[in-house]
Amino acid sequence: MVIPDYYEFGSRTHIMAGYDALEQIPGLLSSMDAQNPMVITDQGVSRAGLVDILLQALDSRITIKTIQDDVPADSDLITVHTLAGQYRKYGCNAIIALGGGSVMDTAKGVNILVSASSDNLLAFSGANALTHALNPLVAVPTTAGTGSEVTRVAVISDPDNLRKLLFTSGFLMPDAAVLDPRMTLTLPAPVTAATAMDALSHAVEACLCLGRNPLSTAHAHEAIALISQHLLPVILQPDHKPGRLALATGAALAGMAFSNSMVGMVHTLGHSVGSVCHAPHGTCMAVLLPYGMAYNLHKTQPLLADLLLPMAGADVYARTPPADRAQKAIDWVNRMNQRLHQVTAGAHAVCLREMKSQDGKSLVPGHLLPKIAHTALGDGSIFYNPEDLDYDDCLMVLEAAFNGAPLDLSRVKKG
Amino acid sequence: MTDFMEISPGRHHRKRLYLSCMLWFFGRAVQAAARVDDGVKSEFAAMPDNFTFCLGAFPSGPYMVVGKDSLGRVRHLGSSIADRTIHLHMMFKNPALLFRVFSFQESTPVANARNRLYVHGDVPQACAVVRIMDMVQVFLLPKFLAKRAVKRYPAWPLKRRTLVRAQVYVRAFAGL
Ligand SMILES: [Fe+2]
Repeated sequence: MVIPDYYEFGSRTHIMAGYDALEQIPGLLSSMDAQNPMVITDQGVSRAGLVDILLQALDSRITIKTIQDDVPADSDLITVHTLAGQYRKYGCNAIIALGGGSVMDTAKGVNILVSASSDNLLAFSGANALTHALNPLVAVPTTAGTGSEVTRVAVISDPDNLRKLLFTSGFLMPDAAVLDPRMTLTLPAPVTAATAMDALSHAVEACLCLGRNPLSTAHAHEAIALISQHLLPVILQPDHKPGRLALATGAALAGMAFSNSMVGMVHTLGHSVGSVCHAPHGTCMAVLLPYGMAYNLHKTQPLLADLLLPMAGADVYARTPPADRAQKAIDWVNRMNQRLHQVTAGAHAVCLREMKSQDGKSLVPGHLLPKIAHTALGDGSIFYNPEDLDYDDCLMVLEAAFNGAPLDLSRVKKG
Repeated sequence: MTDFMEISPGRHHRKRLYLSCMLWFFGRAVQAAARVDDGVKSEFAAMPDNFTFCLGAFPSGPYMVVGKDSLGRVRHLGSSIADRTIHLHMMFKNPALLFRVFSFQESTPVANARNRLYVHGDVPQACAVVRIMDMVQVFLLPKFLAKRAVKRYPAWPLKRRTLVRAQVYVRAFAGL
C-alpha cells in the first residue's frame, strides 16, 4: 500500500453489534440524556414485524413519543419536513431510525431541521454546510447494504426539481449504529443478495478510487472478507444469526470505508440507472461492479490483485500467479453474481437487461442507455474514479452491462 | 509544502504572483477555447446564461472568475469576486494547495479526493467545469505536464491538436 502524501479519515459512530444489541438502546439514550425519541421507519419494516421486535427489546424503559412509518422508498423533502413537524409536536429529543438507506437518510434530514430549528432543508445541502452537532440519532439498519448507519452522507430527493440533493458533513454520522441480526433475519433472499452486493461495491470502490488511504482500505478489506464468506451461506440458510451479524458488520465496515474514500464509476453509472429507470440501487451495483473493476484494471492492477485475498481466501490467492490475481478478482465477482442468480431462482439479475420490476416488467429498456450515460456525466462520484470516463466510455460500459457481455478491454482508452 | 509554511515574504509573494498570472492566463484561455473549440463550446452550451463560476483559494484568493453573459457569450471576468453573484465556487482550502495543482505536483482529481477543495454549487455543473479545465489544460500544456494534470491524456484529432490549439494560444494572449 502506497501511503498518500495526505489523507483524511473520520468515523465517530459508536457501533453496538450483537444478538442483544437492541436491548442496549435505552441505556445508550439515557447516557445522552435523550429519553424521548421518535421512531422513523417505513411500512415494509413495520409489516415485517420489526417495530414490534424493537419495542419488545426496549421494554418500556424509555418513552417513545411517536412512531412514524410513512417514509417512501425514495426519501424526499416533503417527508423530511412533515416528520420534523411531528418531532416538534411530540416534544422529542432524539431519533431512532429503523430501516434501510431511505429511512436513515430521511432521519438525517429530519435531524438537521430539528437541531438547527430550521424549516428549510435546502439551506444545508451540499458539502460541509453544517456547522453544529445535531441531536442524538441512533440508526438501526434493517438491511446489510447502504452503510448509511455510519456514513457522513444523506441523499434526499427534491421531487419539484427532479433532482437528488446530496448532504455531506461529519455531523451526519449517527451517534450510534445498532447492528442486531434480528433486524435482517426475515429479509428476502434477492434483497439480501442485492444489498450485500451494494456493500461489496462500497468496499471494492473504496480500495480502488482516488480517495483511498490505509485506514479506508483496512476497513474495506475486512468488509470484503466478511461479505464473501457469509453471503451465500446466509442466502441458503436465511435465519443463520451469526451469518446475518457478519453481513451487518461487513456493510458497516464498507460504509466507514467509502464514507472516507468516496466511490467511483460503479456508483456513477449505478446512480444514473437508478434515477433514469427507478431501478433498485443494490441490483445496479451487483451488475455494474465487475465492469467498474475491469474498466479500471490498467490503473489499479496491484490494488485489484490484493482484493483476491479477502474475496477468495488464502488458498486461492496463494495458488494464483501474482499477474493473474487482478483478473481473478473480477472473475470472482462475476461468479458470485451467477451463484446468487442460481440460488435466488433467477431473481438476482446478472445484466441490466434482466432487471425486472415486481410485476415482471423490464426495468432498464435499451433505448434509455444514452440518457443514462448522459446523466452519469453529472454525478459527482465520477471525480473519484481512477480512470476518466467520457460519454462514449459510459455508453460502452452500459451496453456491455446491458447484455451481460464481458467488457472489451481493447476499447478502454488509456491516456 | 514545507517551504511554503516558512515565514518568508519574498517566496510567498513570488508564489502568489505566479498563481495570479497562471489563473489570469488560464481564464483568458477558457474564454478563447469556448470560442474556437467544439468540445469546450458544447460544455458551456449546457450551462444557463448569466452563469458564473470561480476557481481560487481561501481565504483571500487569488481567484479566477469566468461566466456566461446574458447573450450566452463566455467571458473571463478577471480576478475579483467582489460584487458578483457566483453560482459555483471551487475553492482550495489555502493558496499552498492551489499552488500544488498549478505547479503540477498534484492533479485536480487527486486534490479533490484528498479533500483539498470545497465545491459549492450544482454538482453536474461542477463536473462540466472540471471537464472544461481538463480540455484547456491539454491545450495549454506540453504533453508531459498535461499528463500529470489530467487523469487521461486524450487522443485528439490532428486539427484540434494543432490549429485549434494555436487559435486558443493566440486568442488567450490577445484577450479575444
Ligand atoms: Fe451504494
